[in-house]
Amino acid sequence: MKKKVISVLLALVMVFSLAACGTKDNSTNEDAATETTTDESTDTAETTEDTTATESQVRVCVVYSGNLGDKSYNDSCNEGAQQAVADFGIELKSLEGTTAEEWEANFLAAAEEGYDLIICSSSNFEEYMKEHCANYPDVKFAIIDTTVEGDNIVSISFAQNQGSFLAGAAAAMFTTKTDIEGVNDEKIIGWVGGMDIPVLHDFYVGYEQGAKYIDPDITVLQAFAGTWNDPLKGKELTLAQYEQGADIVMNVASGTGNGILEGAKEAGKYAIGVDLNQDNDQPGSVLTSMVKRVDRACYLVIESVVEGTFAGGSTSYLTVADGGVSLTDFSVIKEALGDKFPQDIVDTVTELEQKIVSGEIKVENYEGFGPQ
Amino acid sequence: MNFSKIFNTSLIYATFRSATPIIYAALCAAITQQADILNIGTEGIMLTGAFAAVTVSYLTGSWILGVLTAMAAGFLMSMIMAVGHIRYKAEICAIGMGINMFAIAITKFLLNSVLGKSGTFSEPEIQAIPRVSLPFLTKVKFLNELFNNWCITEWFVIVLIIAIWFIFYKTVWGLRLRAVGQFPAAAQTAGINVNAMKYQAIAISGLIGGLAGAHLSLGYSKMFTENMTNARGFMGVAAMYFGSGHPILTAVGCLVFGFSDSIGARLQAYGVPSQLVLLMPYVVVIVTLAISMASKLAREKKRKSSLA
Repeated sequence: MKKKVISVLLALVMVFSLAACGTKDNSTNEDAATETTTDESTDTAETTEDTTATESQVRVCVVYSGNLGDKSYNDSCNEGAQQAVADFGIELKSLEGTTAEEWEANFLAAAEEGYDLIICSSSNFEEYMKEHCANYPDVKFAIIDTTVEGDNIVSISFAQNQGSFLAGAAAAMFTTKTDIEGVNDEKIIGWVGGMDIPVLHDFYVGYEQGAKYIDPDITVLQAFAGTWNDPLKGKELTLAQYEQGADIVMNVASGTGNGILEGAKEAGKYAIGVDLNQDNDQPGSVLTSMVKRVDRACYLVIESVVEGTFAGGSTSYLTVADGGVSLTDFSVIKEALGDKFPQDIVDTVTELEQKIVSGEIKVENYEGFGPQ
Repeated sequence: MNFSKIFNTSLIYATFRSATPIIYAALCAAITQQADILNIGTEGIMLTGAFAAVTVSYLTGSWILGVLTAMAAGFLMSMIMAVGHIRYKAEICAIGMGINMFAIAITKFLLNSVLGKSGTFSEPEIQAIPRVSLPFLTKVKFLNELFNNWCITEWFVIVLIIAIWFIFYKTVWGLRLRAVGQFPAAAQTAGINVNAMKYQAIAISGLIGGLAGAHLSLGYSKMFTENMTNARGFMGVAAMYFGSGHPILTAVGCLVFGFSDSIGARLQAYGVPSQLVLLMPYVVVIVTLAISMASKLAREKKRKSSLA
């Protein structure tokens, strides 16, 4: 009995030591801000804080719903934060976590620690923010990818539906290019997402609309892996879609997406990257990537705190028109395919992009998304 | 919904493909189970193996060395468990969980410090386990789709299942192992060194667990991701329970999981809610465990009543 008690205690100790391993300290001790940019694209409706922030080092914590190193969403966010470290000399801490329990624990730990700014990198944190942010009135919070109401919260979301519209259109055109190796004659395209959360449906709505805009008869296969960090699951889902006739699959799955791209390479088919430019991850198998400037969002919100222009309660919405979302320039696949590269896809995508900006095409939103 | 797109020949290979890592894990757990040791640490042994395989394959450019190192790493992890459990009489579940957590932490740490990456490691320099292409199969479309381009470790798992079945039920060593599991005191009286048998069982289990990891990171995919096993080790332990440690029944259990996984992947594409589909493997685990437990209880009852 005594042994059992001891072993349970030992197990507990290990759990805590593991939790400690899960955090990663990125703090740097550079000099305080020497450089300020004049970019003012965040809402600067009111200045809630005076500019004491710039005098002492600003402390920022980013909490992730997943791990860094996903070569996608989280890495993009981290790029923006690292840029801010370089430009403003802030102190930065990154907390990674893969389960909902870890997310909440990391979030609360950061709030208790008294950081000046806590950036919640994804909509997975929405509920915790609703519950806890009001208890920490002195801490500034920011959330990317969704909107949370609160006097000390800034929300930044993206028109991922618009970017996905372009990706869907590109995929729909690509699936008809049967002279390219690996493209079959069936009009089927695929889409694999990470967790089944509203923001991914906003991606999907745009993707499907874009595909149907090009060809109303097209079939779009949809699947969710249910996780952000199981590339093997992503690969299996992708291979299943290829086996069902798809020849191009869009990845919207953070770490799970590495498996989607690998599946494309292995099956001799094609994929579309997401968040960061993933064209070079499996060169020749990635048609294009839908780049979502999470880095920009992260950078801008840190900048607003450094400059004292942080406007609690505000929301911003980055669209195709502001460059918040876009497709890459297809250059990698162009090189890989050589003569067979279908230039008309690029031309049509550029045309559609202008139509979205001008408002000629209205891209649908999933319920609860869109400009506020 | 297009049924011919869901139930086609590729589904058979897909089932086997997603079941293979679980079969390796289940065999890893089955060997120790025969000696009455519940190998909860399968998950951690696999994860360490997966990391070792990718690292060595990347550094040396040889997948064989990668696989061998993975097996050695699995062996090391299993020895920690063996010494803790047999020498120091630690509770096996606690030490198994400890191994799992240690594996997650150490692979994360080494990924950062040795390979200088965080999260995912996938470089073109990693040498994957080659696939076997059988040119004579290409003439028959059905067979070609079914058997061509399997990974070496996918073929090997079939050999391993049969080999382990043979060892368990047709060799003296297997008989002794099962004796140790079923009635250690009797085995001891018969002159069998119980502890030595247990050490051997855990060691072999570690080798297979390491191989399971190597298949995951060099065969099934060509990358390492933090916690890439994602409960496949635990699914293996569940399958082992389903087959009560019998290698062939255990493999059948794994195929059931693999099937529910692959069919789910196909059903989702036609708008079946993902929550429902992603639940399927777990429902299958619970149902199969319930059935195997119920039948075990029924057998036990019958045995007792015939005694009376």
